[in-house]
Amino acid sequence: MVAQEIQLGSASGPHKAHVDLLSDAVEVKAGEAQVVELRFRVQDGFHINSHTPKDELLIPTALQLNAASGMKIVDEQYPKGSTFRLPLDKTETLDVYQGEFRVSVRLVAPKGSSTLTGALKYQACDNAVCYPPKTLPVVVAVTGR
Amino acid sequence: MLLIAGVTLIVMAGTHNLRHRQMVMQKAQQSEVQLSPASSGSDPSEDPAAKALLGKPAPSFTLVDLDGKKVSLADYKGHPVVLNFWATYCGPCKLEMPWFQDLQNKYKDKGLVVLGLDQDDGMAVKEVAAASKRVGVTYPILMPDDKVSKSYQLSDYIPETFYVDKSGKIVEQTIGAHSKDELEADVQKAIASGGL
Repeated sequence: MVAQEIQLGSASGPHKAHVDLLSDAVEVKAGEAQVVELRFRVQDGFHINSHTPKDELLIPTALQLNAASGMKIVDEQYPKGSTFRLPLDKTETLDVYQGEFRVSVRLVAPKGSSTLTGALKYQACDNAVCYPPKTLPVVVAVTGR
Repeated sequence: MLLIAGVTLIVMAGTHNLRHRQMVMQKAQQSEVQLSPASSGSDPSEDPAAKALLGKPAPSFTLVDLDGKKVSLADYKGHPVVLNFWATYCGPCKLEMPWFQDLQNKYKDKGLVVLGLDQDDGMAVKEVAAASKRVGVTYPILMPDDKVSKSYQLSDYIPETFYVDKSGKIVEQTIGAHSKDELEADVQKAIASGGL
């Protein structure tokens, strides 16, 4: 309860984050390429560009992962975005993530406990304003069985 | 005697319960206030900075344009000026900018000047120039400076626009994208105000 209040309190500040990491631990079969889904949630009322925005001037959402010792990151697969139109824009649409979205990461993990670390780079807007690009730290405990 | 003690206990318990309920209600109300902004999108109009400079003299500045030439607000003394803070990643900004270009063309004979103050962090001049060309604006684009962001008390979101009249006073201050009609009404306000 206290942790939740602190999280939401900071989100109402001037330099708030707009995306939360929902995954904190995954289990995989050790020593084999496995796909794990990292779950993120864009906060209500906001959207972020998908990994493949339509306009090259827009900043794509991108996950940058660091391979821990004994772990190998094979690749990442991003979900398709949804179509979004700014209320004042009668002509163009955007390709965005809203609500929960999942990035699939194919990795090979060692037996035992290790940690997947990295960062999600994104840039958020709402219907009328945009916020500077932000970086969300990603830390996920990986258990290889 | 026992009856009096019993009544006293009941009254004390009631008072305690009332205080407890009041405290719980107070905490619940505080939580509500704290939690509600996080569950919805931003409402820039509620930002205390939204109208902080309204009616005040526009803070002076000197910035460089895309050609490296120094541009000062003082260069446009006696003109109505629109100061539009934008960035290349900002969709709502790119929606408004062609409308500002149209308004600059429409009110050129009234002396209207539009300046686009870029807020990209660490972006090369040629990239900002390419972006503004793609958006279709030819009015001066000025490169960022933290001092200007501070003096104009900008929040961390854009677009933000200041309408300065001929006397140098800010007559309108807006956050977020607005319709072309709203932009034109604010431009007309800047043109009509501050005449000598």
